[in-house]
Amino acid sequence: MGQRKRVNVQSPVPCPSETQPFSPHTHSSTEIPHHTHAFNTSGHHGYLQSGKHSICMVSDFFYPNMGGVESHIYQLSQCLIEKGHKVVIATHAYGERRGVRYLNNGLKVYYLPLQVMYNQSTATTCFHSLPLLRCVFVRERITVVHAHSSFSAMAHDALFHAKTMGLNTVFTDHSLFGFADLSSVLTNKLLTVSLCDTNHIVCVSYTSKENTVLRAALNPDIVSVIPNAVDPTDFTPDPSCRDSSKITIVVVSRLVYRKGIDLLGGIIPELCAKHPDLCFLIGGEGPKRLVLEEVREKYQLHDRVRLLGALDHKDVRDVLVQGHIFLNTSLTEAFCMAIVEGASCGLQVVSTRVGGIPEVLPDELVTLCEPTVSSLCVGLEKVIARQRAGKVPSPAAIHRQVQTLYTWRNVAERTEKVYDHACRQPVLPLPARLRRLRSHCGAVAGSIFSFVAVINFLFLLFLQWLFPNHLIDVAVDASGPGGRWGRGFGKEESKDPIVARCAVEDTRRLKC
Amino acid sequence: MVLKIFFPRCCNMADSGLLVGRWIPGHDSAVVLAVIHYPFIPGHVKKYLSELRSQIQVDLTVLGSWSLSKDGQKEMDGFLKDLSTIFPHSRWLQLSREPGKKGFACEVVRKNGHAPPSGEEDKIIFVHYDQRKVMLSQLHPIHENGADVESSELRAVFHTVSQSEPLFLLDKYDDGPLKLTHWQSDGREASIIVELIKQVSVPVCILLTSLVCWWKWLWSFRVLNIWPVPFISSKLSTCVQAGYRTDHFQTVFSTRKATTHMDFMKKANMFVSFFVDIALGLLLISWLYRENRISQLANTLVPAADHVAKELQELLEWLMGAPAGLKMNRALDEVLGRFFLYHIHLWISYIRLMSPFIEMILWYVGLSACLGLTFALSVLSDIVALLTFHIYCFYVYGARLYCLKIYGLSSLWRLFRGKKWNVLRQRVDSCSYDLDQLFLGTLLFTILLFLLPTTALYYLVFTLLRLVVVMFQGLIHLSVDFINSFPLFAMGLRICRPYRLSEGVKFCVLHEEPGAPLHLLMEINPLQCSSVLQCYRTETSGCSSRDSWLALCKKLFVGELIYPWRQKTTKTD
Amino acid sequence: MGADSDAGASPAVPWRKVLYERQPFPDNYVDRRFLEELRRNIRVRRYSYWAVVRETGLVSQQLSCVALFLTLWSYMEQGNVGPLTLLWTGLGCSVLGYTLYEALGGGIDRERTRCADLQSAAVFMAFTFGFSPVLKTLTESVSTDTVYAMSAGMLIAHLASFPYTQPSLPGSLSLNAALFASVCLASRLPGTLHTFAMLSCALLVFALWPCLLQRLRHTAEWTFPWAAGMVCVCGVVGVGTLWPAGALLLFLALVILTLVCPLLLVRLQRHKDNIHGPWDEAEISDDLSRFLS
Repeated sequence: MGQRKRVNVQSPVPCPSETQPFSPHTHSSTEIPHHTHAFNTSGHHGYLQSGKHSICMVSDFFYPNMGGVESHIYQLSQCLIEKGHKVVIATHAYGERRGVRYLNNGLKVYYLPLQVMYNQSTATTCFHSLPLLRCVFVRERITVVHAHSSFSAMAHDALFHAKTMGLNTVFTDHSLFGFADLSSVLTNKLLTVSLCDTNHIVCVSYTSKENTVLRAALNPDIVSVIPNAVDPTDFTPDPSCRDSSKITIVVVSRLVYRKGIDLLGGIIPELCAKHPDLCFLIGGEGPKRLVLEEVREKYQLHDRVRLLGALDHKDVRDVLVQGHIFLNTSLTEAFCMAIVEGASCGLQVVSTRVGGIPEVLPDELVTLCEPTVSSLCVGLEKVIARQRAGKVPSPAAIHRQVQTLYTWRNVAERTEKVYDHACRQPVLPLPARLRRLRSHCGAVAGSIFSFVAVINFLFLLFLQWLFPNHLIDVAVDASGPGGRWGRGFGKEESKDPIVARCAVEDTRRLKC
Repeated sequence: MVLKIFFPRCCNMADSGLLVGRWIPGHDSAVVLAVIHYPFIPGHVKKYLSELRSQIQVDLTVLGSWSLSKDGQKEMDGFLKDLSTIFPHSRWLQLSREPGKKGFACEVVRKNGHAPPSGEEDKIIFVHYDQRKVMLSQLHPIHENGADVESSELRAVFHTVSQSEPLFLLDKYDDGPLKLTHWQSDGREASIIVELIKQVSVPVCILLTSLVCWWKWLWSFRVLNIWPVPFISSKLSTCVQAGYRTDHFQTVFSTRKATTHMDFMKKANMFVSFFVDIALGLLLISWLYRENRISQLANTLVPAADHVAKELQELLEWLMGAPAGLKMNRALDEVLGRFFLYHIHLWISYIRLMSPFIEMILWYVGLSACLGLTFALSVLSDIVALLTFHIYCFYVYGARLYCLKIYGLSSLWRLFRGKKWNVLRQRVDSCSYDLDQLFLGTLLFTILLFLLPTTALYYLVFTLLRLVVVMFQGLIHLSVDFINSFPLFAMGLRICRPYRLSEGVKFCVLHEEPGAPLHLLMEINPLQCSSVLQCYRTETSGCSSRDSWLALCKKLFVGELIYPWRQKTTKTD
Repeated sequence: MGADSDAGASPAVPWRKVLYERQPFPDNYVDRRFLEELRRNIRVRRYSYWAVVRETGLVSQQLSCVALFLTLWSYMEQGNVGPLTLLWTGLGCSVLGYTLYEALGGGIDRERTRCADLQSAAVFMAFTFGFSPVLKTLTESVSTDTVYAMSAGMLIAHLASFPYTQPSLPGSLSLNAALFASVCLASRLPGTLHTFAMLSCALLVFALWPCLLQRLRHTAEWTFPWAAGMVCVCGVVGVGTLWPAGALLLFLALVILTLVCPLLLVRLQRHKDNIHGPWDEAEISDDLSRFLS
């Protein structure tokens, strides 16, 4: 009776590769496969003609990891998508989270199966990530590769491969480094190699720029300063949450040495002895928690020093608004988001004068101290006295002042200019690149990395012979000009409740 | 939208009539269960359906009409339309089939009487199913509580068909007011016999249950619960096995009817494995008690035990020399060697004392096989444990000594580095010791370090011996566990009636023609064998928690005692 | 802020190093004041040659102590010195040292009573004496080379982990390593009494002498170079009586340690080029342990 064409219901419905990681297991046999290839007329040059870019952000650090770099990448990508650019993110696989995922507004994230070595950073061999990253760059028709964080091996790898493939490159440095010890000498050398032929570099503060220029021996003209931003709607003041019978000092940071927790351990007994109505609210987790616990035990301050443990990013605001004073004891900081968040919640901010912190907030919003216990105590006492006398501006006023300072739209605008600038610059061909490496990075390292660059180039040629570019499927654009998100593709996908829920959930966790 | 109609294959060629079935709530699909033939009286149909509804708890309705058009039945059309007014429903299906054609024609009439505008016309898919298989099959994974039944469309279809069993009991030869077409059982007689057996089994069950109760009551005596008895019985695998079998026995012969599928399968599995076990046991007895095999066994057992003791003695003497060229501490070596030799001496005299009675013991013990092969194996395991008691003793001495050394060395090594273990914080703290503490600690550390190889060698040798015994016992336990827990009934069902345990379905295209509804054939995917095992295995503690190899190695390294699997789980409890 | 292109325009307002203000400069603007906070070599210390020599004296004398101990051990092994001689000498030295220690520590508050000292001494004696038969047979079956290698390793560990910087008692690891080495060596000696004598001697050299030396440095600083020098001379002479070439080697090593290495340190200081700036990780200068002790 009729021809027997088998359709097995248990096997997932064949769908475009984009949706593969989501593929829900449904029983219904009536699911019609989505149309796979319908559009994509705009080719590689379409982006340049339209003045829009196709950007690939690469970093080891992305959601589900949480931190400054992660939220920077996410927020910047969202604003760039809003401005009509196409953005995809490449990071390494986090546990079960591997493959392709979509976040809000068609932000596509590639979780590539690369081996994590240490501290969420991947291992680097300069070569093994080339096949995967090339595949991403080609199928997404990337024009600009934007790498983040000098701690991320994957970012450096991506820069290296992008230059081999002739793509424009931009790098954002989020951290400061010293020059004193052996490890920093080595990392600085690697940074020199990685950045010597990168088209443009972005730093988050002027101090960070000076640091990067010195470390990588760069021409300061190709380094732009674009600060981080804070979403002011996430950090709104709420004075009703405060306990007006006492003065609360809030500290929110990871409890590690670099955040100056040892200083905090000295400040707590000093101030608690002088001011009986003072209490501390400390959010965060880390190895230095022990110091704080010991101090608390020794001075019997269990009712006045509350250790909240690790905080979800969404809970930070609720902790901040409970305090009067925000204290930051960092020993080094490129751009301190925490003090902006604290000020945005209407708190008086006391901070150490290190790194780029003096550039971040105007003097009337922050009290800067030297990184010693005595100086911090003096600064805090000054603010406490002002608070007692009621001579501080209202939280709402502080919030109003802060909310215009740093916005992601502004960051995206300035980053866009960096992309325009970078795309106008030529990408060095291999001979010029080798000359530059040799002349710029010293004889030994220059020669070694010239050799590596040549091998990488040969490897690329081999890959191009093995899988020619034109055989790699071009991906459906979710964002950018001709993006399908919210127009058919996205709608059809969000019809599937599981997918939609996943995407919404991911976004919620990321935003908070 | 797509309208799916699940249609039984047995009704393909049925005479014209009414379609009886159910609309699946929440989904756009209908299950056809039977066809009621003309002529009928609408009042009878309604009465019959309402009776059925209250009986099977499924919302049965008249779905529409079915016409297998013979020649000249065009005038039926008007009549069919009229029918829809008699049995009101929001949608009315009109299926019709012409003899020569493969496909059906279908028309959906809305409540207001006319077909919907052509633009919104529903696409219709016919899914043909085998009524008997679907009725009998159990969809996996199983959700026992009914709440979840409605969630999935497929599950709802299976549920509807299996619940409608009373509908299918109506025989076509019955002289009722209604004539129906649906699947019908062929073997009425067999089912009568099954019913009879069920009736008979009830008093048997009551009898056996009371026996088990009596047995349990015997065990609940106070005398048997004072200290050493529970301890020893938990270490003897025969007692453990007896406990299992009592539990199984109680479950199988309880007079309570198995309500859910899982209960039923559990009982059936236990019964079959019990049966097979006893059959194997009897087979063993018939082999063992023929041709004087018992005495042969006894005659080889005693010299074997003797021989093992001799070998051990030689091994110890070898260890007391310079084994494998290793340089050991002479004094400690001597002490340990003598200690163990004395034990072997004790053991040999014990064996000699026992030897006249071995045969008699074996004869009585062999009878236990009539309780099942698993009992015989458990007894064998216990006998092995008793006969290798000296090895166990050696192992325990060696392990305790070694453990002590390792423990002492690790804490003295911390002292050596100027650290100490902080018990409150569960971490290593630095600590400043006094000069005399340091001096004494280092002295002891040096002594322990130099004596460690000697102890470690003794420990290693005896651990290897112990591992051999444990491995043998473990093998026996594994086979006992296998017989205890293997779901024989479920496996047999899977092999002989694969559709009974299903894991989803697959569809084949039967007939596809543009403009006409699509016809699919629904076939049942049998459950995979591994899933059968996973789903229906009887839980026994022996297999449920097994330590990983890494954990075992770690235990061996630090000198913790190891036991065969079953004892270990009782220990962790 | 502004685009990269309008860099040529010269705005009237001066550039400020702040991020919170939108300034009429491009993002990649480089001001005259770029890197003005860069500092070089701010934390370089100028060393005086003789002060460094004085400090390295401690290292030299510790090395000599080890040499001295090894000399004593070989004398014992060859039977040139009897255990009783060594014991009596040791007793004399310890009584002398203890008196000196007490005399120098007159001004300091005593944490330990003399009774505790006596008790410690009794514990040393009793346990060493009790264990020496065990110790004697301990390494019997271990090959001599292994014992030597182990002792050498442990003595090197002792020298490497000796707390030269902080003026304190010998650290746990260094003292333990030295004691381990001396137990290994002592177990190679011909008799039980030899073992006992050798261990007592090790206690004197590795545990008690550093305490005395530290007290010397603390209260009567002028004596320290003399004491160190004396130990060095003793060590060289001691090794010389057994193995002249070894004495020469030791002498050279001591000279390099005390005279050449400090010279190198002082000379190489000149070539130091350290960059500092606001990006440096701040160092915590307070003594934070006072809050917890």
